[in-house]
Amino acid sequence: MANFLAQFQTIKSSSDHIVISVEDVSGLWPTVKKGFEERLPFKRACLNNKTRNSVFVENLPAEFILTTDARLRSRFPHEQYLFWFREPYATIILVTCEDLDEFKTILKPRLKLIVQNDEREWFIVFVSRAHPSNDQATKMAKKVYSKLEVDFSSRKRERCCKLDIHSPEANFWEDLDFKIVESIRNTLDRRVQFYEDELRKLSEQRFMPVWNFCNFFILKESLAFIFEMAQLHEDALREYDELELCYSETVNVPGKQRDFGGLERGDEQAALLNSGNKPLNEIVQDDSFREFEFRQYLFACQSKLLFKLNRPYEVASRGYSFIISFSKSLTSYESILPFCMREVWVVTASLALIGATSSHYKEGLVALDVEKEFHRLEGDLYSLCRLKFMRLAYMVGYGTYLERSPVNSASLSMLPWPKPAVWPSIPPDASSEVLAKEKMILQASPRPKHFGIQRKQLPLEPSILLREANRRRASLSAGNMLEIFDGRPIDGVVSPSNKPHTAAMVRTNSIPGNFESSIDRPMRLAEIYVAAEHALRNTISNPDLLKSLSSLEEFEQKYLELTKGAADNYHRSWWKRHGVVLDGEIAAVSFGHGNFDLAAKSYEKVCALYAGEGWHDLLAEVLPNLAECQKILNDEAGYLSSCVRLLSLDKGLFLNKERQAFQSEVVRLAHSEMKQPVPLDVSSLITFSGNMGPPVKLCDGDPGTLSVNIWSGFPDDITLDSLHLTLTATFNTDEGVKALKSSTPIVLNPGKNTITLALPPQKPGSYVLGVLTGQIGKLKFRSHSFSKGGPAESDDFMSYEKPVRPILKVFNPRPLVDLTAAISSALLINEPQWIGIIVRPIDYSLKGAVLHIDTGPGLKIEESHAIEMESHTDVMDKTTMENRSLGEKNNCHSLKIEDGQVEFPDWASETNSVMWIPVRAVSDQLPRGSSSGAYSGLYLIFMYCRLMTDV
Amino acid sequence: MIVCVAIVGHQNNPLYIQSFTEGDDALKLHHVVHCSLDVVDERVNNPKKSGPMLNETYLGLLYPTENYKVYGYLTNTKVKFILVTTDLDIKDADVRNFFRKFHAAYVDAVSNPFHVPGKKITSKTFAERISTIVKAFGLSSAG
Repeated sequence: MANFLAQFQTIKSSSDHIVISVEDVSGLWPTVKKGFEERLPFKRACLNNKTRNSVFVENLPAEFILTTDARLRSRFPHEQYLFWFREPYATIILVTCEDLDEFKTILKPRLKLIVQNDEREWFIVFVSRAHPSNDQATKMAKKVYSKLEVDFSSRKRERCCKLDIHSPEANFWEDLDFKIVESIRNTLDRRVQFYEDELRKLSEQRFMPVWNFCNFFILKESLAFIFEMAQLHEDALREYDELELCYSETVNVPGKQRDFGGLERGDEQAALLNSGNKPLNEIVQDDSFREFEFRQYLFACQSKLLFKLNRPYEVASRGYSFIISFSKSLTSYESILPFCMREVWVVTASLALIGATSSHYKEGLVALDVEKEFHRLEGDLYSLCRLKFMRLAYMVGYGTYLERSPVNSASLSMLPWPKPAVWPSIPPDASSEVLAKEKMILQASPRPKHFGIQRKQLPLEPSILLREANRRRASLSAGNMLEIFDGRPIDGVVSPSNKPHTAAMVRTNSIPGNFESSIDRPMRLAEIYVAAEHALRNTISNPDLLKSLSSLEEFEQKYLELTKGAADNYHRSWWKRHGVVLDGEIAAVSFGHGNFDLAAKSYEKVCALYAGEGWHDLLAEVLPNLAECQKILNDEAGYLSSCVRLLSLDKGLFLNKERQAFQSEVVRLAHSEMKQPVPLDVSSLITFSGNMGPPVKLCDGDPGTLSVNIWSGFPDDITLDSLHLTLTATFNTDEGVKALKSSTPIVLNPGKNTITLALPPQKPGSYVLGVLTGQIGKLKFRSHSFSKGGPAESDDFMSYEKPVRPILKVFNPRPLVDLTAAISSALLINEPQWIGIIVRPIDYSLKGAVLHIDTGPGLKIEESHAIEMESHTDVMDKTTMENRSLGEKNNCHSLKIEDGQVEFPDWASETNSVMWIPVRAVSDQLPRGSSSGAYSGLYLIFMYCRLMTDV
Repeated sequence: MIVCVAIVGHQNNPLYIQSFTEGDDALKLHHVVHCSLDVVDERVNNPKKSGPMLNETYLGLLYPTENYKVYGYLTNTKVKFILVTTDLDIKDADVRNFFRKFHAAYVDAVSNPFHVPGKKITSKTFAERISTIVKAFGLSSAG
């Protein structure tokens, strides 16, 4: 049966619709043809699917062909069964007759002859040519037709219908459609049944030696094609799925070694969407097909049906899995396939799949999640293609131009090198190309990172290519590695400090003619690149791909196209992180081209992503790039904020030297001529909190000092030109914000600093720390706006916030001091005597306090004596206070009175004390020394204490 | 071979990430773990797709690439455990078991009264325990 493969494919490609044969008994076809063909394609044809359920096919294309047509004649009976799908599904017998006798004698026997073949589905269309005005003719036609019905219709099956040419009945055409579709349905059912029976028989033998996959295939595909012609694509797809399953089950039977295929020129161009790529008879092997071509053929058939079912999403989904699994097969045959066949095939397959699915895909027609999933798959396809393309580019020497980013490293360094049986060797006349590659290697030095950041570069190689390639060369032993490396840095671990020696340029090996002996010595890197390039030119037949690898510019263009494709699609899917990360790769290219604006925008997105989720290690890789863009673009605000962000990252991520570089940039910019003062948020770098312990307590209207802890994340000392700290009242949010200022420069050491700020008088209430702002040069910075209970740790993301603690309490007015007279006995008129005042501070320091004394009329302070003061406890020790007399010197301190004011000594600020004031009651009437009850006490008119901290 | 294990907090912030490769290439694994959160998010946000897996902590294979595999595990508190392995032929039950041990070790680590919830796990004991689990996994899957 396999011999029919070629014929089968030709027939299949030429017939794509159902055929209805027309037996034109009475030569009526030209008359009715137009009317009949207007009915095509059939609308809402009711057919049965494989599971015998009714399915309405919206548009069923068909063609009427006369039985006398060459296409329906001269077929051998065995062909009929094999290619049954092209046989007519219904036979319409067109007759007319105007005479009963003629019907009986001529027409009826002829019709009986035609319909005796029971296998066919047939029905008779009686055409009446009688004019409606001609009653005689009309009657006769009716008679003949009823006779026809009696003879050919049965109770089970209505097989006749009548068409009046002059006035067709309204329901004739519907009746015709119904009868045709009914016939098609019956034929379809019968044929499907037949094929299924045959297939069942065959598949039962599939593990027997007689099994022939080709036979099974022809039957199975015929069945699939029958469904496809009937527009039952779902059923057709199922047949192909089963075919694939059966193939994979039987193709890899152990003991039967078959050719894999894929060795012909052009095979590297994926044909997974082109079922007609190769004739099937060319890929037959023994009793089956070659895997390489056949699996692609099957996928092409499946995808064609899926596109017809309007499911490009499923093509992408199945396609991605297909590429991955096919790529695995290619890996296992890698040693016999052309060099890098797998990589090239994946590139072409992904591109073909992306092209086909995106052109069939219409936005907004499917559910949102399907749409997202579709874009995710497209993104995956682009990524896969991008990865293999990068690998190819690396093989030909563009590796140094590939960004050694985490994303590239993750995919490339875990992707094994190609494993050809023998690594390609260098063609004899390639000396100039080798020289060019040498030059390229020498010229490429990794771009030094901004701020002088030095990092070990991430690998793009699973192992060192030089070693891998030389190891795989047949005649070569492992060799002396030093000789191989030739004193040059190993590819992939080129560090800026380890630049290739310029002496390597003048190398004797570069002399033409020396290459013939190259087979015996290890190849150098440049030679490996050239050899790979030549081998790839043999592998790749696709001119576009060849062009993309032909020069660095072409490579970059393709690389950008693939990266953008992947990023765009990921952005439209659930996988935002994938998209943003690839944006970063695009940014690197933009940067290289001097599009710093574009680069900065993309880098910003990447940084925002990493910063938002606290992935500092990754952020540390990208942020310097963003900073560099901002610096070039003169974006001072952005640059400053990037520097601050760099400083606030985990300390271990950068060397101290690098962190100092960030700081010096901040300071340099802050003191430079900035166009406008730039506000800067340093929340993560400068944090502050109040002192541990109880809050400072003050009374209403009192000034004071407040000490605050400030943590500096700068690696070096930093000078703050001014500092403002707000206090927020907890009782009143409207006017509760008070600003504390320190206009003298403050130097912050790295780590904890305690600074003291003067506190002007505040309203009563309790206060918490608010915002810390300040200036470094022209730079206005602002820290976080809440007080933290403890020091901000390096990863203050998600910092555990403690409840805000009051730092200052200002109390309502209350008595702060108690003054009482030490003596309440009567005074002698005109006699100087001591009057004592006991001063008791009430939970309040009297430091710097001033006592105002106004004696009032009739009493005078004796200015010849100094006022004295002693501790109250000392006084209590004495036997009696009345014993005191002027001039008695005890443990007393002299104080001066000026304008009725006495300054308190510091020792007396916290303790109870007694102030002795020399007074004399004055009276003109009374003689000196007489006693009077009227002046029995000292009039303390007014006493006023004030803390002198603001003096 | 397990090349990387990671714990990611409920705000997708890394809590612990440890790679087991020889080279100085941990950053690429940071990238792999970070990007795998896309898949975790997708599964969590589309319960329809995950279907019966909804109540299951083990998320299964997140990432079937050609050269490495990423598995995920999601706790009730939305803490994610990620495993990156280059072993392409790996049993699901083994991975499940690994995550269970990993989860237990995590619970012990965060139960330490000195650990601040939401902060990175810096405990050396925890790191040692994870190394032991990873080594044991290598032995069991190899054998």
